[in-house]
Amino acid sequence: MTRAYRASTLWAALLIVVGLLAGPAQAEHRTGTLDTVGSDTMAGLMLRWGERLARRHPGMRVQLQASGSASAPPALTAGTTLLGPMSRPMTEAERQAFVARYGYPPREVVVARDALVVVVHRHNPLSSLSRRQLDAIFSETDRCGAAGGIRRWAALGLAVPPGRIVLHGRNAVSGTHGLFRREALCGGRFRPSVNEHPGSAAVVAAVAADPQAIGYAGLNHLTPSVRPVPLRDAKGVRRAPEPAAVRRGDYPLARDLRLYVNLPPGESLPAAEQAFVDLVLSAEGQAVVEELGFVSLPEAVVSRQRRRLGLAPP
Amino acid sequence: MMPTPPTSTMRQRLRQGRDRLATALITAGGIGVIAAVMGIAVFLVVEVVPLFWPAEPPRIRLEALWLPQDVAGLDAPAYRWQPTLADDGGPLFSLPPLVWGTLEAAAWSLVIAVPLALGAAAHSALFMSRRLRARLRPTLELMEALPGVVIGFVAGLALAPWLERHLALALALLLLVPPGLLLAGGLWRQLPARLQRRLPLGWAALWLMPWLVLTWGLAQWLGPLLESQWFAGDLRAWLEVTLGLDYASRNAVIVGMAMGFAVVPSIYALAEDALSGVPRSLAEGAQALGATRWQTLWRVMLPAASPGVLSAVMIGAGRAVGETMIVLMASGNTALMTANPLDGLRSMAASIAIELPEAAPGGTHYRLLLLAALLLFAFTFLVNTLAEVVRTRLRRRYRRLGGPS
Repeated sequence: MTRAYRASTLWAALLIVVGLLAGPAQAEHRTGTLDTVGSDTMAGLMLRWGERLARRHPGMRVQLQASGSASAPPALTAGTTLLGPMSRPMTEAERQAFVARYGYPPREVVVARDALVVVVHRHNPLSSLSRRQLDAIFSETDRCGAAGGIRRWAALGLAVPPGRIVLHGRNAVSGTHGLFRREALCGGRFRPSVNEHPGSAAVVAAVAADPQAIGYAGLNHLTPSVRPVPLRDAKGVRRAPEPAAVRRGDYPLARDLRLYVNLPPGESLPAAEQAFVDLVLSAEGQAVVEELGFVSLPEAVVSRQRRRLGLAPP
Repeated sequence: MMPTPPTSTMRQRLRQGRDRLATALITAGGIGVIAAVMGIAVFLVVEVVPLFWPAEPPRIRLEALWLPQDVAGLDAPAYRWQPTLADDGGPLFSLPPLVWGTLEAAAWSLVIAVPLALGAAAHSALFMSRRLRARLRPTLELMEALPGVVIGFVAGLALAPWLERHLALALALLLLVPPGLLLAGGLWRQLPARLQRRLPLGWAALWLMPWLVLTWGLAQWLGPLLESQWFAGDLRAWLEVTLGLDYASRNAVIVGMAMGFAVVPSIYALAEDALSGVPRSLAEGAQALGATRWQTLWRVMLPAASPGVLSAVMIGAGRAVGETMIVLMASGNTALMTANPLDGLRSMAASIAIELPEAAPGGTHYRLLLLAALLLFAFTFLVNTLAEVVRTRLRRRYRRLGGPS
C-alpha cells in the first residue's frame, strides 16, 4: 500500500490496453492508440472511457500511464501525449513551461466533478463542521482564523467519542492531500500526528475501525462503514457531499477533474483525440462518471465546452 | 603416477581448462558484487554531496537539518518533516524525526524479537528433541521467507485494529504469560517421575500449547475485570487522561511486533548455529562436574557462544533498520518525535519509498532522501561487517576449544 507498491500495481494494471475486443463497427472507422499520462485518481475513469471508445470505434485503444497528476504536464510539454488527465489545476510554473515550448497555453477541459469528504466513524454524532473547525482539527497553523487547535472531541461539544481526535489522511505526495491543505487548512500545515495513508480507501478503512477517528478522502471512496460529515459553507449553511450540491459547486470541498489538451488555437483535434473528448463530453461518457462514484457535469457546462472545442452538439 | 594414455592427458587438460574457467567466472562474480556495492555507495555520495557544496546557493545548513527550526505558527522551534510544503516559508526538512522513527522501530522490534529468538535458540540447541528441532528450523525459515508486504499488511489491517479493540486483553496477556510459563516449569518439576517421562522437556514446545490456551482464556476473563477495576472501564481513555499517552492505532509497538516477527528467524538461525556449535565436551564436562542445565546454559554455553549471539542480534538490528514495507504499512507514517511507544512513527526507509517517486531529481528533497539512504547504507554496512568480524573470531575460538574445525 505504499506509493512504490501502488505504483507497481498501477504499472501492471494500467498499461491499460483496451479495445481489441471490438463491438460492431459504427459510422466512421477510426484506429490508433491514444497515449495518456496523468492522474491516478482518474485512472478508473480513463479505463472505462477507453472501453467505451473501443466499443464505438473498434481498433482504437487508450493507454494510460497513471503515475499521478504531476506527471501530466511534463509529458504534455515533451509532446509524448496530447491528453493529460489531472485531478488539480496546472500550476503557473507547469503552464509556463508548456507555453515556453509551444507558444500557446494547453486547453483545459473539465470532464467531471469530484469532492473531498470528511468522514467519521458511523456512530459518531458530529452534525457538521465549519472550515475554521476543520482547520483547527487538522492543522497546527490555524490559518483559517480559529482561536486555537481542537484536539479532543469534547472541544466540539460532543460527549460521545471520548478522548482525543485521531487524524487520518493521505500521504504528502497525493493531490488529495494538497487540495485539502489548500482548501480546508487555508494553505496551512498539517499536524505531524496525521496518519498518512497511501490511498483514500485505506483512510476510510482506518476511520471505520476507530470511533475516535476523523479523516478525509475522495468522494468515490465513501462506504457505508463511515459517515460523511456535512460542512458549513461561508454563510453557515450545512452542505452534505451530495451529488447535487457538488455539481452546483455549493459543497465547499468540491474540485474539478480535468483533461489538459495540447490544442493550438484555431485548429481542431486529431481524429483519435477528438473521438475521445467527444465521448467524454457525451451522455454516455458522463454516465460513466456517475457509475464510478464521481459527479457528472451540469448540462450547460458540457455543451459550452463542446462548442468551444468545435464538437457537434450532442 | 601411472603413465597415462594420450587420450587421458587430453581429457585432463580439458578438465583443467574447465576448472580455470569456473574459477575465473566465480572470481568475476565476486568482484562484480563488490563493485556493485561500491558503485551504490559512490552513487549515493555523489548525489548527496551537492547538498553541502552546491554549485550555486542556497546551500543547506547542517544545523538546519539536525536542530529544531523556527516554524511559522508555532511558538517554540520544532522538528518538522514536511517536504512538499510549497508556500508558508517553503518545505521543512528536519531529519531527526525520521532518524528517531527508524531507531525507535528497530529498538521495539529487537525488544520483542531478541528474547523470543534467543530463548528459542537456547531451547532448541540444548533441550529440544531432535525430531521436533528438525521440524522447527524449516518452519522458521518459512517465516523468514514471508515477504515484508504481507507481514506489514496483516499488522496494519488486522493486528492494529484488533489490539486497539482489545487493549485490556493484551495487557492481561502481558501480565499473565511470563508468570504462567514459570508456573508451568515449577509444576512440571513437582510431577511424579512417571508423568515427567510422559511430558519430556524436549517436547515442551508442544505440551505447553494447551497451557498457553488456558492462559489466554484466563486473560479473556481477567482483562475486562482489570479494565473496570483499575482503569475506570476504558484503558485507552485512562492512558490518555492519567498518563497523558496518546494511543495511535498504528504505533511503535505494533511496528515492533510485526518487524520482530520478521527478525526472529534470522536471529534464531544465527544464535542457534552459535550455540549448537559450542563443543559438546564443554557442556558434558560442566554437567559431569554437577552443574544443572540452567548453570550449563548460563555459565558455559552462553559465554562461549556470546560473540555469535551478539552478531545474531546485530544482523537482526541491521535488518530492522533497513526494513521498509513493514514499517510503512504497520505505522501511521507520522513524523513525530515522542518517546511514547503507543504513538506513531515514520522511518527513513518508508519516507524514501513514499516520497522518492515524487521528488524532483536533483532537488533538495531528492538529495535529502538520498542522504537518508546513505545513512541507512552506512549503518547496515557497519553493523553487518562488525557482525561478520565477530563471527569469524568465534569460529577461531571454537577451533581452539577443540570443537569441529
